[in-house]
Parts: sequence; C-alpha cells; structure tokens
Amino acid sequence: MTFNSPDRNSPSGSQTRSLHGRRDFFGQAAGSLGSIALTSLLAGDRLLAASGPKIDSARPFAPRPPHFPADAKNVIVIFCAGAVSQLETWDYKPELIKWDDKPLPGGPAVTFQGPAGNLARPQYPFRQHGESGKWVSDLIPHLAGLTDQIAFIHSLTSHSNTHGPAENVLSTGSILDGFPSLGSWVTYALGSESQDLPAYVAIPDPRGVPQNGSNNWGPGFLPAAFQGTTMSSRDPIRHLAAPGIKPETDRAARQWLRQLNRRHADLHPGEERLAARIASYELAARMQLSVPDLVDLSTEPEHVLRMYGADDTQNNDKAAFARNCILARRLVEKGVRFVQLFNGAYASGGRLNWDGHSALKEQYDVHAEILDQPAAALIRDLGNRGMLDETLVVWCTEFGRMPFFQKGAKGRDHNPDGFTCWMTGAGIQPGVSHGATDELGQRAVEDIHPLYDLNATILYLLGLDHEQLTFEHNGVQRRLTNVEGHVIDDILA
Amino acid sequence: MQTIAATIRLGTISLLAAWFLGFAFAPPAAIAASPTVESSNGESVPDAGDSQSDHWSFRAPQAFPIPAVTDSSWPRQPLDHFVLAKLEAEGLKPSPPTDRVSWLRRVHFDLIGLPPTIEEVDAFLNDSSELAYERVVDRLLASPNHGERWGQHWLDVVRYADTHGFEVNTERPHAWPYRDHVIAAFNADTPYDRFVRDQLIGDRLGQDAATGFLVTASVLLPGQIGADEPSKRLARQDALDEIVVNVTQTFLGLSVACARCHDHKFDPISQRDYFAMQAFVAGVEYGDRPLETPEFLAARARAESLRTDLAELDRELIRFEPLAGSGRRRPAVNARHNLDRFTPVTTDRLRFTVLETNRLEPCIDELEVFHVDGRNVALASLGTRVTSSGDKNVRDRHELRLINDGVYGNSSSWMSDEVGGGWVELAWDEPQAIDHVVWGRDRQGKFDDRLATRYQIEVADGAGEWTVVADWQDRVAAGESIETGSDAEQKAEPDATERQRLELVARKSDLEKQIETASQPPLAFAGVFRKPDAIHLLNRGDPEQPEDPVGPSVPTIFGGEDVTAGLDPVDESARRTALADWIASPDNPLTARVIVNRIWQGHFGTGLVATPSDFGLSGLPPSHPELLDHLTLDFVRGGWSMKRLHRQIVLSAAYRQSSAINPDAIAVDADNRWLWRYSPRRLEAEAIRDSMLAISGQLNRQMFGRGYNLFNQRGGLSGFTPVESFGPEGLRRLIYAHKVRREREAVFGAFDCPDGGQSAARREESTTPIQALNLFNSRFTLERAEGLADRLVRTAGDDPREQVTLAFRLTLSRQPEPDELDDAVGWVAEQGLATLCRVLMNSNEFLFVP
Repeated sequence: MTFNSPDRNSPSGSQTRSLHGRRDFFGQAAGSLGSIALTSLLAGDRLLAASGPKIDSARPFAPRPPHFPADAKNVIVIFCAGAVSQLETWDYKPELIKWDDKPLPGGPAVTFQGPAGNLARPQYPFRQHGESGKWVSDLIPHLAGLTDQIAFIHSLTSHSNTHGPAENVLSTGSILDGFPSLGSWVTYALGSESQDLPAYVAIPDPRGVPQNGSNNWGPGFLPAAFQGTTMSSRDPIRHLAAPGIKPETDRAARQWLRQLNRRHADLHPGEERLAARIASYELAARMQLSVPDLVDLSTEPEHVLRMYGADDTQNNDKAAFARNCILARRLVEKGVRFVQLFNGAYASGGRLNWDGHSALKEQYDVHAEILDQPAAALIRDLGNRGMLDETLVVWCTEFGRMPFFQKGAKGRDHNPDGFTCWMTGAGIQPGVSHGATDELGQRAVEDIHPLYDLNATILYLLGLDHEQLTFEHNGVQRRLTNVEGHVIDDILA
Repeated sequence: MQTIAATIRLGTISLLAAWFLGFAFAPPAAIAASPTVESSNGESVPDAGDSQSDHWSFRAPQAFPIPAVTDSSWPRQPLDHFVLAKLEAEGLKPSPPTDRVSWLRRVHFDLIGLPPTIEEVDAFLNDSSELAYERVVDRLLASPNHGERWGQHWLDVVRYADTHGFEVNTERPHAWPYRDHVIAAFNADTPYDRFVRDQLIGDRLGQDAATGFLVTASVLLPGQIGADEPSKRLARQDALDEIVVNVTQTFLGLSVACARCHDHKFDPISQRDYFAMQAFVAGVEYGDRPLETPEFLAARARAESLRTDLAELDRELIRFEPLAGSGRRRPAVNARHNLDRFTPVTTDRLRFTVLETNRLEPCIDELEVFHVDGRNVALASLGTRVTSSGDKNVRDRHELRLINDGVYGNSSSWMSDEVGGGWVELAWDEPQAIDHVVWGRDRQGKFDDRLATRYQIEVADGAGEWTVVADWQDRVAAGESIETGSDAEQKAEPDATERQRLELVARKSDLEKQIETASQPPLAFAGVFRKPDAIHLLNRGDPEQPEDPVGPSVPTIFGGEDVTAGLDPVDESARRTALADWIASPDNPLTARVIVNRIWQGHFGTGLVATPSDFGLSGLPPSHPELLDHLTLDFVRGGWSMKRLHRQIVLSAAYRQSSAINPDAIAVDADNRWLWRYSPRRLEAEAIRDSMLAISGQLNRQMFGRGYNLFNQRGGLSGFTPVESFGPEGLRRLIYAHKVRREREAVFGAFDCPDGGQSAARREESTTPIQALNLFNSRFTLERAEGLADRLVRTAGDDPREQVTLAFRLTLSRQPEPDELDDAVGWVAEQGLATLCRVLMNSNEFLFVP
C-alpha cells in the first residue's frame, strides 16, 4: 500500500490526509449522490451520516472503504491480560540490576495494592537479538527472535491502575463500562472481507475469560452487529446447530422459513429490513457450514502444528493457546477483519494471568511458556504466507509494573505510567524502538503516549482517521479516542 | 451552507451536504442546529436561536393553537392536527388506517410487550363500536404487564443491572427493589413529576427503593480500588460522575459528562456548572439501605409484641436457674453471658465488684438487673444512675455510660482502670424488687480476655449495709463440668421439671428466631446518604488538581442560582431536595418535554426529537416543535399522567395508519419524519422472548422479586456460562432476569439488548447472522416450539388442519391462507408440528410490529 503521505510531523499533516480521504469518499459517492441523499442515508441507520460509515442493514459486514488508502486490511491483537511487566520482557533496565534490593529514594510509600518494598532487578537475564541488537529477556526466546520485524513503543501510559478500568481504556478508550471496543469500531467502519464468518472474533484464553470479560469485545452503543463473537478452537460459535434436530429437518425448516418470509415480504414491498433478515438467515446457514471446517485443525500439516506447539502433550494450556493462534491465522485467511487473541484469564492472584504481585518469576515462567512459542509461530506463519503485508499484529497489555517489589513479596505492583506494547506487520517499520521510560523503568519520559495513541495508530494503519470515525450517542459524537489521540508516526513504515 | 440548510430542512441531510462541501470540521451541533424548521402553517419558527440561551429546549414550551387542516375528517386527537398540518405542508398524505388485527398487535406490543390472545383478537374483531379501540387501550393500560413493558424502557435509560460491573462484576443482590419500584410506579400511573422526585428523594417520600436510580451505574468496590490515595479519589470522582450523568441525561436530556474535563464544546455547560451538579449528590454513596416497607413495619410491630412474650418466657425460665449460694454448683463464668439468680430482694443500690480477671483490666459489657416482673431495671434510659471505682475510657467504645445503655458488644462496654479489679454501682430513686443479674465480658462473644473470673454482687439495705447476694465461689472452674454428682443423676431420664424447662427453652429459641427474622428489614441498593464531600472544580477533571470549591447550583444557563441558599450546607438531603424541586417543576423547560418525547419514541420508534437524551445544541431539533410543546403543556396540565399520554397517542389517527410503503412519500421522506405512515419495527429482545413464552403457553406471569438466573452464576470474574434450558422460574418475563452487567443474554442479547454499561436511550435495530443462529438453533427456541406443539395438540386435537390453523392464530393473530394451510399441513406431515412452531417463531411476520 502506498500513500504519499505529507510530512507526518507537520501540524497540518493529519488535516491534509483527511481532506484527501474526504475527496476519496466524494469520488465514490458522487455516482449515486441523488439516491444516497434522500433514501439510503436516512433509512434505518439513524445519524450515521454525520461522518460514520453507511451500513447496509442487509449486509452489515459488507466491506466498506476506509477514509484513505490503508496499509492493513486485517488486525490480530494479542492481548495479554493482567499487565505484563515491561521489566521482565522488552524494556531492558541495567540500572535496576545495580539498584537491586535498595529502596527507591523519593519513591511512593503506597502503590495500588499496598506498601512498596525495595527495587528489584529484572528477574530474567537479557541479551541482544537480531540486527537491531534489541535487548530482550530470556523469558520469551521465540518472540525475541522476531525483534527485527517489530516496532516497540516503550512509553505508553494508561489512565487507570486498576485492571478492569484499564482494560476498558485499552479496549474501548474509556475508563467506564459500556463503550464500543476497538474491534467494534473497526468492523463498524470497514465491515469484513468474509461473508460467511463473523467480522470480529474474540478468542479467550483456554484458561478462562480475560479480566475485563466481554467488555473487551463489546459493541457498547454501536449496533449489536459489531460485537465481537467469541469462539476458540475448543468452543466454536454458540448455537451453530440445533441440538437433537436432524440435518434434513433443519434444511426443511430453513426452506420453509424462507418461503414464509418471502411471501410476507411480497406483501410489504420496499421494506428493506425484511430482506435484511432473510439475508441474515442465509448468512447464518453459511456460517453453520463453514465454522466446523474452520475449527477443525486436523487438516493442518504436522510441521505447522509442531511450529505452534499445538502438539505439545506436556502442556495442555500451551497446546490449546497454540490452536487458538492457528485459528486466528485461519480467520484472517478467510477475510475476518479483526481478531482478538487473549493470553491470560481472570483475576487469580497471578495464577492464570500476568498479574505478578507476589510470586512474579514463578508465575511468569508458566505464562511465558504458554505465550511465547505459539505467538511467535503465528507471526512467522503469517510472514511465511505473505499475510503480514496486509495484516497488522498488535501485542498489548493494559499497563506495566513497578521497578520495586511489593513489601514482603516477590512481585511487582501495577504501574500505568510507563509500559511497552508493540506492533508488527502491515504498515509497520520493522526493528524500531520508540519512546523510553526512565532509567529504572518506572515512568515514560521520552515520546510519552497515552493508550489513545496506540488506538489512533491502529485505526490509521487501517486507513481510518480516528477523529472522523464517530457515532452519536446521547448527544456526543463519540470516538474511540475521546478528544485525544495522535498517530505514532515514528513506528510507521 | 445557509442555502443548503434552507432548501433541505432535515438536520441529517444538511449534515451530509455540509460534509460534501467540506464543512466536516464544523461541529455537528452548528450544522444540526442551523436548519430552519417551518411551522405547519408555513411560517418560520425560530428553531435554534443564535445565542445558546435562545436554544429552543432551554425556553419554556409555548402554547400553539391547534392548526387548521384541509382534511378535517382525519384527526382523531388534537395531536393529529399537528401531524396532518405538517404532512399537508410537505405535500404528503397520511396513509389509510391499518387493518384491525395489525393495529391490535401493534398496540399490544407497544403497551404491554405481548401479543394478543385469540380471545382478545376475536373480541376486538367482533366489537363493531367505535369504542372498541378505546376499550382495548384501557384494558392494556390497566394490565400489570404495562409496567413490565415500559419499565424496561426506563431501565434501559438508567442502565440498570444486578451486578456492580467492571472486572469483578460482583452480584448486587438488592438492586431489584428498584426495578420493581419502576414497574409498580408505571402501573400505578404515578404522576411523572412525583416519579422524578421519588427517584431523587424517595427516602424522604416513603419510596425508599426509588433512589436506586442514583446508584444504577457500575462502581468499583472498595477491594478493587487501589490502596493509594489518588486511586481512591479517582474512583470517587468516577462514581459521582455516573450519578450526575444519569440525572442530567435521564431527566433533562442533557449530556454534561464532557464538562467534567473541559467546558462543554457545544452546550452552554461550563466545567463549573458540572461540578455544581456534582455538589448536589456529593453525599451519595453506593450501598444498600434498609427499606421501611409497610410489610416490614408490620413485621417489626409484630416482633415488638413477640418480645413481650419472650420476656414472659424468660420470667418463667428464671425459676429453673440455680440460686446463688444455695449449695448447688453453678456453671463456670464465661465471657458471653452469666446469670446470677438470688432470692428476691428490695434495694435501691446494687454493686458488682471484680476481684480477679483472666487478664488485664476487667471489661463488662452490659450489666442487666431484673425486676421480679421481668424488666431490666438497670437501663440508663429508665433513670438508673451508675458510678464506678474508676474507668479506662476509649471514646464511644469503653465508657461507664455504656455499661447500661442497652447495647451489646465490646464496642459499647465499660472498662475498669485497675488491672484485675474494680467495681460499678447502680442506684435507683425508688427501691426495686429484683431477683437476678445478667452480665458478660462481650455479649457478642468476640472477646474473652478481661473477664471477671472472681466477683461478687451486693445489695444495700436501708441502713447502707451491703449484703452479698451472689458471687463466684459456687461456680465451677472454667472447663469443669457441673455434673460432678452421681452417674445415676446424669443418666436418669429428664424428670417432669426438666421436661418443662426444655419445652420452655425450645419455645424461647423459636421466639427468638421469629423476632430475628421480623426485625431484619429488607435491603435495597438505593444509596446511602452521608455528609457531602467538599466538591472542587478539578483542572482537566483530574482529582489531583483541585481548584476552587464549588457549591450546589443549577447550570448558569438555567439561572445558575445556588438553589440551596439558606439551607444547612452539610444537610445532604436538602441538596437532593433542591435538585428535585428544580427538575420536577413545571417551570423546568426540559423535564416534561424529555419524557413526552421518550413516550412518543416508544410508540413511533423515533422521537419528535430524534436524539432522546440530547436536547442540547448538538441534538437534533424537533421534527414537530409545536406538537412537542402542545403535548408537553397538555401533559403537565393533565397532572403529568403518562397513561393519559399513551392513550392520546395510540388512539390517534397518526398511530392508526397503515405501515405500507407509499412510493411517492418514501421518495421525499424515507425515514418517515413527517409520519406519513406507521414505521414497522422489529420486536426488542424482551418482547420476542416473552411472546414466545406467551404463545407456547409457558409464560410464568409471576411479577416482582429477586431475578432468575440467566447464567451459572450471578456475578463474578471467571466468566458466565449461559443457562440453556429454563425451569418455571426462568420462564418469567425477561425483565425479571438477574441482569449481569456486560453479559448479554445468550440468545436474545444479540437483538440489541443494552448491557447496562452506558445508557441506552434508544435501542439500535441491527440484523445479524448471530441473531439468526440464536433464534433458529437455541434450546430455548426448540423448547418453546415443543411447548407450542403440545399446546396445539391439547387444544386442537389430532386434526392437522386445526393444529396449523391454531398455530397461525396464536403466533400471527390470523388464519392461514388456504394455500398456506395446505402447504403447512404437508410440511407438518413430513417434519412434525414442532418444526412448524420453530419456523413461525423465526418468521418476520412474528418478529415485526406491523
């Protein structure tokens, strides 16, 4: 994808891009301007006209054009729930080794969970990787091997130090419950390339739902069509088939229903929603056929299963997560627009997710084993198939962790003031590290980016201007980025 | 832009036009507010003034004359004149009346959310009087199902749920009394101004559950909030923000949330205005409050009389207690409860002296002295005086006055200032005939140190001489058993006296349980009220950057006066009362308009103002401004009766129109803003589920009470597994389900059910394949289909034609056409009756309000 971008750092940059985008839209819409203005724009989908996309209610997942030419067509978000410590993974802080077990002068007496203890060195050795010489910890050797493809952002901040609200911020841009998730915004804007699968799929960790549960893939006040559909390699879509009903009865029932509905529609000419509902049953029938094939991984070659670790008989959680990773690739192959792949489950004292308060090393050994090989294999596999040209992969977590241990514990407390996420694939400049935390890794000090910027950047890569992608709710033109957000230009290809 | 706006009057279209012309960066408000709206007689009505204070909704509603219309035979209600005048001005004609069955289904779904029964269809079709329509409407408005239907609309707006939200999403077990309050209030046609007051100050109006309104939002529980002070301040700000947002968007149709961080971009709401609104509710905490319901008050009164019975029993039981100093061994001293009975004696002074403790200074929790008539005469409230050897005081915890205050527990007890010793003395003005003393270290049994292990109780005679009436010496040592007598004594069958005692003890225990139950008030998650927080204007909304203190006052645009002037500044309920007075006033330009518009929207799908929770500058102007004002003034004049307004609307000619598309009309008004037809709608999730249950004959019509389960758990963070197959409890209407915030019901949630996160002033109507999968394949549908099939056989017997006919009548309120009947009978022969039922329940004809 090429886009002759103006100087991204100039203040007028984004405006120029937006004007371009609008002309583009004008060009597409001009042919049918007359009919658009008076019929379809006002039919059904209230107020979307302000600047949101036009949704054809019969085909809510029909592909829709972005605001401007896009680098990425699809997104896979690897969402590590529980707040991964930047200090044990991607943010190398040799100073912390020197300061190990010493109090932090002027540091906070009390943090989220209670009294602060002494500074603690990274719990894993770090070494340099690839041509970029990126320092990465030995915790995640497979992912470390990919650093030359990755653009790191080391200077993210969140508005909350509490998992629930913070996962809300990461997924929806709001601390509060009930706002639309990133995937919902994206599919609302762009629809999907797949017409027999959901546009947006959320794959929970085999160990359980993430800390903020379904609010991570909720549609908020957007139409329910844009809610993430949960499925995994183990639990395909709910209600895919009627229990105890013979296939021929099912087919007959569907045919009978079509006949009844067509007769009814004929009596109500021009009623688009009737046609939309008829179409939705056709689409459901196609899903019913395609999903079982999709989740049947027995057709994957053995070397692929091995590469992901899906054949691991010693570690069921790892094997199940690996199968979810393969499923994520397959979904994108079929044109599904947005896939959220969760690693880490609900609150459990760090036992089932990355919330390492008390026994960080012991627990991270377990979690990294599940994450590392399968996630790295997913990125390699996408690369091998040429899919990274059009697919953006985002690795993220809701916040980071403190450079000191909690008093009387061997783990780190919540830290929303400086943490790392990264991206690779479509539109991303490979092998760069952007922003920095202070020398102990406590606060972002260089190129500080609130999480809004991460979301603005993801939208940008999909050809969407985060300021123009809006939906009117109770008097406010809502955006994923509220009234904030800047595209992080330095990591773009 | 002016030109465009003048030629195309609709806000949405001008938005589009503006967009094409390059005005997309202009705030939508500026565009949406600018179109001129013509009045029905063609005159220009100043719609949105130039200055913000001139904005239409901030001005009082005006009385417009009923407009003249060309087709004077069409209107059935005054409101029809306004609708028709607009249509005529637009060169449009209303649609002909719809058929009677369609109207009946329409009004049934709109008013009660359930389809008509066959009997109701027949009765209406056979009633040729013009009053037939009114009779139906009156019947539906009187139905208890009406509150269930419209209560749901209200709960959508206030984002009601039965869990606390956020990550932990714990059960909020006492939320449902608010849901029940709303249903009952709608059924009772509580005047809306009174309804609003109840929501804000129900605690003062005998409607405790109503203030559940204030605390419907998600909230972080104490354990989820960080231990650091900034986390606590932020959590409190978020909690207060949710209350302000709920109050302003629900009642006033104003979005003020933006002003938490900066002056509102479009509406004249400053940051100071926002925090002044916070100050009204700054003493509201999220929590349970006891409900003083009539049932509870009656139970509590009954408990009082049971207490008399209990005292009687105690008096009977006392004679079974061994007398102190009688030579019989008595139980060891224990920390919780000791009884010393002695021969009745008349005295005006009693002294309790501690001679030894198990450790430290002695502590006595409640010293009770009983008159021979059973009364505790030690109580300070009776005027009994108390003195001591010396006290070790901890304020409100250990004080001499707490020894006879009638309150049990360590935190209401006396402590001596002497290790291992000390005395207290009670004195009466009149001599008392007494026969026993009860005392303990901690009557709640949590503490067992500081226990008097050696003690004596003395009374004074008239000469001031002290006599010991009881002491420790005949008590066995701790851990030692009383029954040191012969084995024979222990093993003997209880004698008559013992049997009598045991019977009395059993009766006593039973009485105590009854009193305990009757004294427990029901709880409602309806807010706890306390001294208001000091509210400051916060720079950028950041609790760490407080600026000037801000007191409660209404937004500047509405006068901005401090409506609590002259009131006690820390009187929490005075603040809420002032807020309620201002909102629930006929002079408030927004309150009545907003609810009138919500009710209109409930019947026509779109409000006269299409942005029902935004009457501000970024909202859309009303399509029929005179009509909205006319209805608003009439609503207030009619005593704020919502049922009266429903009646006017559903009996109107506008509402009775056919929903058929008129190609000429749709070409100029595709979204039917001028109401040239009735816009058909898909049923909402609740109406689909409830109706499936109703037609299958399986609906459990039990109203109110604790919600039934939709999932394997009622709250929590480890995920929710949906219930697939429901027992009778789960076959109640969906409004009675325990609503887990953020978890949409597994089958019907996909039909745009709000998740209780943010307010849903209007439901989206999306169409998705997931809906189709859920409705076609779920066990719920299959079981309803089986249920309906059983009903068909039960009612119609073996004749397939009768069965099919009945299925159509129950599901669609009509007979099958002859060819439909033939086809269906053929299908049923092949695939079974339940398959027919499954198909009908998935049909568009069933799922749409015609």
